[in-house]
Amino acid sequence: MKFVRVNMTGGTVDVDGVPQDYAGLGGRGLTSALINAEVPPTCDPLGPENKLVFAPGFMSGTPLPNTSRISLGAKSPLTGGIKESNVGGTVATALGRLGITAIIVEGQAPQGSLYFLRIDETGNVSLIPAQEYEGKRTYELVDKLLEVYGQKTSVLCIGPAGEHRLALASVQSSDADGRPCRAAGRGGLGAVMGAKGLKALIVDQRGRSADPIADPEAFREAVKAVVKMVQADHMSAEVMPKLGTAALVAPVNAMGAFPCYNARQGTLDGWERISGEAMAEMIQERGGNPTHMGCSQCMIHCSNEFVDVDGRFVTGSLEYETIWAMGGMTGIVDLDTIARLDRLCDDIGVDTMSTGVGIAVAMDAGYKEFGDAAAALEMVEELAQGTEFGRLLGSGPDAVGKHFGHDRVPTVKGQSIAAYDPRAMLGHGVTYATSPMGADHTAGNLVGAYLTHMLDPLNPEGQVATSAFLQVAMAAYDTMGQCFMANVALLSPESFAVMSKLIEAKSGAQLEADEFPHALGRRVLKAEREFNRKAGFTEEDDRLPRFFYSEPLPPHNTVFSIADEELDGVFDF
Amino acid sequence: MKVTVRLYGTWRQRFPGYEPSEGIEVEVPEGATVRDLVTLLEIPEPRQVVVIAGGRVLKAEDKMQRQVPVDVMQTIGGG
Ligand code: SF4
Repeated sequence: MKFVRVNMTGGTVDVDGVPQDYAGLGGRGLTSALINAEVPPTCDPLGPENKLVFAPGFMSGTPLPNTSRISLGAKSPLTGGIKESNVGGTVATALGRLGITAIIVEGQAPQGSLYFLRIDETGNVSLIPAQEYEGKRTYELVDKLLEVYGQKTSVLCIGPAGEHRLALASVQSSDADGRPCRAAGRGGLGAVMGAKGLKALIVDQRGRSADPIADPEAFREAVKAVVKMVQADHMSAEVMPKLGTAALVAPVNAMGAFPCYNARQGTLDGWERISGEAMAEMIQERGGNPTHMGCSQCMIHCSNEFVDVDGRFVTGSLEYETIWAMGGMTGIVDLDTIARLDRLCDDIGVDTMSTGVGIAVAMDAGYKEFGDAAAALEMVEELAQGTEFGRLLGSGPDAVGKHFGHDRVPTVKGQSIAAYDPRAMLGHGVTYATSPMGADHTAGNLVGAYLTHMLDPLNPEGQVATSAFLQVAMAAYDTMGQCFMANVALLSPESFAVMSKLIEAKSGAQLEADEFPHALGRRVLKAEREFNRKAGFTEEDDRLPRFFYSEPLPPHNTVFSIADEELDGVFDF
Repeated sequence: MKVTVRLYGTWRQRFPGYEPSEGIEVEVPEGATVRDLVTLLEIPEPRQVVVIAGGRVLKAEDKMQRQVPVDVMQTIGGG
């Protein structure tokens, strides 16, 4: 259990034990508690007072499957509030195996300097000048780094967008095959990393100093139970390996909740061409891989390797949210273009979701036509070039809307919504409005509740309670480092009981009956909301943009109808 | 009566020769329910089936309508 504190101002590194306040925490629980305790809420997110925290999940590095998530936390330059963005790949497991609980990056490197932070297999931490890599895109950068440090190396890095400190900049994570195609995309944490002067975090995967497990036998038994539950889950065992998250295009579109043409319609003309079914078939025919293991420790394999007509790799894991943002919102019903846009975003280091939405807002405002693939590719390329338009798009959809005098901007707290329209899936509107993260699809996703008849997506009844339950459960799971696919297979009281056993077996501590996920999830959300309040957020920030309340969405022609007072009661616990 | 059924997700793989642009025609008795349709399709995991028509997720006891095609999909918890 180690905290690595890196001061970029002085170029110093300190390795210490973990303070008692953070015992039993990892992932989002740790990043949010630490940001709330140590970062001045009104500071400049791109200044030296902000801190960038990397925390593998509490279970990362243990034999529990699907625990490959690392949480990144900071004050967000996009939302102005607290941010946690988690990502898969291999780095969380690598840090877990080194017994590193968190890396806290503070201060700011002198103007114009750039560094790598490297942790070797014995846990030695060093800052390495990286000036010569300035401006490098992520694929080329990671190729070079694996050449220098060996294939058993995990990388978290920024591209040109992060160096330009764009509010949409992501931190890219190398996948199980060493490609930087997985993104901590949301909230502009790549800009925070760029502002610190940190180009990459490089971690050796061969560490052998993981924290000991207090009761290995009990841990093994509980792992077996989790494996059984995930294997018995239809989505994890059948749908995700064959179609990946893109399987959602068909049902969400069929329910009239697939926001397209900048959220003017809930169904997309020609959606079949960008569906998960079409994608899997296309990948198969071209000799790509529709069932790919993107992250270490994975037993689900939701990832894919998208290839072009000649069978050459284009991008890794083309996901539902990217297909929606780059295809649905922009009206570009062509998987090859969407795949190229995804690759460009990963390479430049920007969030595909807010970028696609920014493009859609510009198109909606008349800057370009919906469906103009060449224009979309050019706009994304401008992010790397740092042109005037690139800087505008990179500042987020709100900035784009303001520039064009266009008020149909689907964001909350500056962050774009995801691929579920809140007018046709009311509960998603509750999550978008109230999540301390801004609009977010993993913070509390109700689509499973709609597909299984637990709730009617168009009836306000039950939406607030279900969103609140899921937001609490996800905050707790994000603390463990488990990926979303496994989390949604583990939402029953029996799964919660097994997770509690795992935590007890790992830590040796006895948990209160209510601890996982309820008490833990609530503590995490409370810390996040406290930070946001101190940063100046009020109830007015927990609202959707006006047009969701006034502009009916075809085909159901409904508007968002959850009362403000109900939104304000989501976190009454 | 005949109902046009469009299959999605991995259900397609259970119907060799399935043509996405056409779907399949299924003969159901007048007044047949969604549950009856799922039984007829012989999908071994009926609890994983989601049937959507007219933008709405149908319940097991909902009746099939003449001339209204249905989409037969799978449960997914998000992504
Ligand atoms: S299911 Fe997908 S996101 Fe989760 S660990 Fe596996 S590849 Fe990564």
